Formats: sequence, structure tokens, C-alpha cells
Amino acid sequence: MDFSAIYTIARQELVINIRNKWTVIFAVVFGILVVSISYFGIMVEGFSGMQSFTRTSASLLNLVLYIVPLVALIMGTLAFTGDKGSTELLFSQPVSRHEVLLGKLFGVFFSIVLSTLLGFALAGAIIVAGNGPEGLTSYVFFVALSLALALVFLTLSLLVSTASRRKSKAFGVTLFLWFFFVLLYDLLALGGTLLMKGQSANAFLFVSIFGNPVDMVRVATLIILDNITIFGAAGAAMLRFLGGQTTSIVLLITGLLAWVVVPLFLSARMMRRQDI
Amino acid sequence: MKLLNSKTIIYGWLFIAGLSLEAAGQSGSLQALIDKAPPGGRVTVSSGVYSGNIAINKRLSIRGEGWPIIRGDSTTSVVSIQADSCVLEGFIIERSGDNLMHEDAGVFLKGSHSVIRGNQLRDVLFGVYLLEADSNTIEENRITGRRKEDLGQRGSGIHIWNSNYNTFTGNIITEARDGFYIQYAHHTQIERNEVFGLRYGVHYMYADSNAFIRNTFSDNVAGAAIMYSTGITMRHNVFSRNRGFSSFGILFQDCHGMVADSNVISDNVVGMFFEATTDNIFRHNIVAQNDIALQMFQNSTGNVFTENNFIDNISPLSIVGRKTETRWSVNGQGNFWSSYEGYDMNGDGVGDVPMKVQNVFQYLEGRSANLRLYLYSPASQALAAAAKAFPIIEINSEVDGFPLMRPVDLRNMPALRKAKELMRPGETARTGAGAWLAVPLLSATLIGFFCHRITRRGKV
Repeated sequence: MDFSAIYTIARQELVINIRNKWTVIFAVVFGILVVSISYFGIMVEGFSGMQSFTRTSASLLNLVLYIVPLVALIMGTLAFTGDKGSTELLFSQPVSRHEVLLGKLFGVFFSIVLSTLLGFALAGAIIVAGNGPEGLTSYVFFVALSLALALVFLTLSLLVSTASRRKSKAFGVTLFLWFFFVLLYDLLALGGTLLMKGQSANAFLFVSIFGNPVDMVRVATLIILDNITIFGAAGAAMLRFLGGQTTSIVLLITGLLAWVVVPLFLSARMMRRQDI
Repeated sequence: MKLLNSKTIIYGWLFIAGLSLEAAGQSGSLQALIDKAPPGGRVTVSSGVYSGNIAINKRLSIRGEGWPIIRGDSTTSVVSIQADSCVLEGFIIERSGDNLMHEDAGVFLKGSHSVIRGNQLRDVLFGVYLLEADSNTIEENRITGRRKEDLGQRGSGIHIWNSNYNTFTGNIITEARDGFYIQYAHHTQIERNEVFGLRYGVHYMYADSNAFIRNTFSDNVAGAAIMYSTGITMRHNVFSRNRGFSSFGILFQDCHGMVADSNVISDNVVGMFFEATTDNIFRHNIVAQNDIALQMFQNSTGNVFTENNFIDNISPLSIVGRKTETRWSVNGQGNFWSSYEGYDMNGDGVGDVPMKVQNVFQYLEGRSANLRLYLYSPASQALAAAAKAFPIIEINSEVDGFPLMRPVDLRNMPALRKAKELMRPGETARTGAGAWLAVPLLSATLIGFFCHRITRRGKV
């Protein structure tokens, strides 16, 4: 594997994304949303001060869970189903298909990092200014988990784009994926838990978290932000099921990693066999 | 420099030797002094270390000047008072025994009309132990338990057993098992105490007609656990920052006929927990920023909530079971709910749309507690929004028919001031707020510079 080739392709992808303004547009939208949430969370609280760090970060988490997967899916699909001519030109170069794939992935990921970083930095500054720097490490973890979520959905969009190849079809599928993971999956899991009884319901609930990267990021972030006490008895039950706080976080992060590696592996395999 | 150091050390040794000589000289003499004094006499004790346990068996007033230390011999109680109308004031009392079954306390009291005032108790199993002792006053003491021991191996700060008409004022209790343990003790007055960093701030068992007023209970497993008691009055107390898997601001078990007025219950995992607790009145309380404001078992019926402020709780109400028969308003006055989204067309300060205290997700949570794992998930919010738009799922009848549009004005409540003092240190750390805005500015500049540089070259 030629890393300089990957780097070159990644940089080209980044340049394209900056030039076609998607990065800037997302940066502005994300920044405005994030700043307004953190500002109103910190400054205008009626009973101000207590717990505002956790509460504000939790509201930010809410936004991240909606927006970041969407941004990642859209930018990913745009990048991975490139214009017909340019893709052919790229694949005709003396670089392997894996290198193209990885290069593009890194390029898009980095442009997402760029576009969200400003928003996160602004929100972090507002939180710290209003609340003191004590929660800063948890906040950094939260940002890292959000970026991990972006990476998961990027690889998913890569998989979809590789499989469907046509831009319109890929967009349709990715939008469905967004809807599925953000909303539908949780509703199904909720319903399933209510149908089952006792211990099996618990097991189903805890395992179902791992089937959805959005849930994994949500649970991991809440554990890191506020300790798991925010879930009350459910949190205690989950810790007992998974085996401790550190173990749960490690498990969740491993799960996220699997959600990156498996789609990546699948799409690499698919691409190797494709006739481009 | 070296010379100076060795000199200091020598002087230091001399000093300590002198002190211990004095202590040795006086160790037996405090008990001797007490034995010598006539009943009803006054004994004034100057500073120094007095080793050995002390027993007082007649009416005496003993005052320490300059914090004399009574150092127990690590068995039984340091000071035992088994007489009426005694005064013990101004001592540092330390090193009790460690037998929970034998009431090893800093001050053991069995008698009436005594005053224990302004002492510091440290390294004691129980702080003050009242056994069949009526009408005593325990005030302005500072009680520190044994931090190194497990919670289960510690005693209570103030333990009250089968004792009535006692008053506890202005004590500070920490690192014990329970702050106050009160069993079979009626007509107790607990006022202006501060209890933090232990298991239960107050643990009531079978203790009726007690009042607790202006106390602060923070950073405990539970602020107060009130069990099997009737006719309790709670006013102007603060229950704050009691956090953990099963933590409560206040836990009520089998309590009836209680009045809770002007308390602040903030930043707890569960603000108030009710089991088999009926017919109590809650008015003018602030219940703010708890993960769950109220958690109720179905068997808690007939409680009344009026003119309380429920502010920024993640879930206002969680019911174990289907519904409680709680009255959420009295005479057209409900409560203020910060999550209320209705309107007030006629401007009478009462919302025109009834407030459903629970949303559908919280209702489902009551049926299967582990669903709380979906807290903050988009699905749970979507579900709540959908249920509001299309009320297909019939949820329970926990409805405040007269929700207030504005919070009840409780800004001048003394408990609120106290609660704000307890707020996380962040509140005071506003200085340098501007400096932090440099972070996004700096990152924006860097990102801009980076984008400009990488795109300007134009070629790859």
C-alpha cells in the first residue's frame, strides 16, 4: 500500500470538498446550531449553574445525533459516487483501488472534521466560559465520539455508494439509512422491549444498543459526561450486564470500531470485483 | 541553613515532650475534678489534653476554655452523661471505641434537660448518642466520623433512640453513616444543621410529629430517608447533589400527614421518592434540575402538590405502576412546570391547557424501567412529539389542570440562597470568560489559513 498515494488522493478530496462549498456550508450551519444551544443552555437557565455542563453537553449530543450522521452520509455519498469522468480518470492512474478508497475516505473525513471543529470549539469555549474548565476532558471525549460517529456513517455511505454506483440511488439508500438508524431502529427496539418480559427484555435492550452506532455514541457519551447515574437503575443494570463502567466504554468503542471496519472491508471487497 | 533545621527539630521535640508531660499530669485529673465538684457545680477546664474516658453522674456544668481535648482510650464512650440538667461545652472530644452494639460514642447521653453545645467531635463511632433521653439540647457541635471505615462500620452522627422532645440546632455532621438517626423519637426539633458526605442525612424510623427546618443535606446517598412516621413538618431545607445509582433527595416510605413547605430539592438523581406514602402536602417547594423530579409507587395516593416550581428536571414524574391518585392542584392553583408548553389566553396566570405531567416515553419507562437507556435518544423525543400530535396511546391521568404560567416567586426564600451557595464551583469561575473565546477564534483562523493554503496551490 502506497501511503503517499493515499495522502495525495485524500488531499485532492479535501480540496474538492472545500472548493465545492459543502464543508463551509456545514460548518456555518453546525456552528450556528451548536452556539445557540450552548449559549441558551448556559446563560439563560432559570435556575442557573447547577449541572449546566452536563445538561448543555447533553443537548449538544442531541443535535450531534441528528446532524452528524446526515452530514457524513451526504458528504460521503457525494464524494464516493464522483462524476463519471473523474472517477474513471482516477482509477486509470497507477494506484490500487484500495488506495483510492482509503484516500477518498480520509479526505472526506478530514473535511468533516474541519467543518465541525469550529462549531465544537465555539461551544466548548462558551461552556467553559460559563461553567469553568472542569468538564473539559469529558467534552473532548464527547467531540471525539461525535467524530467517530461521522466516520461510521462515512463508511456506511461508502458501502452504499460502492454497491449502488448511481448517485441518485445511493442518495435514496443513504437517506433511508439515516432515517432508520436515527429514528426507526430505536422505535423498533423500544417496541420489542415492551413486548418481551423480564430478563430477556433486559438482554434484548442492552444488546440492541450495539446494533446502532447512534445509540452506542449516545450511551458512551452520557456515561462519560455524567457518569452512568443519569440512567438511574437502568444504568446500574446495564453496567452489571456489560461488566463495569470502563468495560462498557471499551465495549462500546470496540463496537464503533467494528462498525467502521466491517463496511470498509465489505466495500473494499466489492470494489475489487467491480468492473469500473 | 542545616543548623537552623536541626535547631527547629530540637525545639519541636522539646515542645511535644512538654505538652505530653502536661497531659500526663492532668489525665486523671479531669475525672477527679468532676468527682470533687458538688452537684450543680461549675467546672471550668483550661486547654490541654485530657486522656481517659469521662463519666458524669450528677448535675454539672463543664466548660472548656481554649479547646481542651478529651481523648478517650478507644473503648466505649468518651464522655458518658447519665444525669439530668448537665452542660458540656467547648471541648474537642476524640477516640471513642468501635463497637456498634455498645453505643460507643463521643458523647453518650442518658438523662434529661442537658445541653451539649459547641464541641468538636472527631474520630468517634457515634457522635452524640441519646438513649432514653428527653428534652435535651444539642447545638453548634461539629461531628466528624471515621472516613476510613466503610459506611456500614460507621455510626450515626447523632443517634436518637427512644427519646422525645429534643432539640438539635446548628450542628455540622460529616463522614458518619447517617447524619441523624432517629427511631422512636417524637416531637424532635431539628434546625439549621448541615449534613454532608455520608449515607442518609436524616434517617427517621417510627418518629412522629417532628419538625426539621432550615437544614442542608448535600452530597449524601440520600438527603433524608423518612420512614414509618406521621405528622412531620419540613420547611426551608435544602436537599442537594445527592447522586448515585439509587440516590434520592428525600425518600418517603410509609409517611402520612406531612407538610413540606419552602424546601429546595435540586440536582439529585431522584428528587423525591414515594412508597406507600399518603396524604401529604407539598407547597412552595423548588424541585429543580433533578434527573427525575418525583418517583412514585402506585400505592402512594392522596398526596397534594400546589404552587411548587418544577424546573429543568429531565423527567418530572416517574411512576412505578400505572397511576397514582395525586392531586396536582388545589383551588385552581397548580404548579409551575418548566416543560409546560400551553398558553394563557385570559391572562389569569393559569395555563388554559392542562399539563400532562408525564409524556408517553416517561409513561412507558414506568412500565419497563430499563427503557430509560433510551433517554435523550431521538426516538424517545419523536415518540413524545407524535403522541402529542396524535394522542392515540392513552397514558395515565396524571394531569395538572391548572398549571402556572410563571414560577411562583420564591426568590427570597432562604433555602434558595443556601442552595445557590452549594452550586458547583463553575458558577464562581466566570472570570476569564472572555479569554476562552480566543479558542474558537484561534481555531477559526487556523482552519481558514489551512483551507486557503491547501486550495490556493490548485494542483495536486
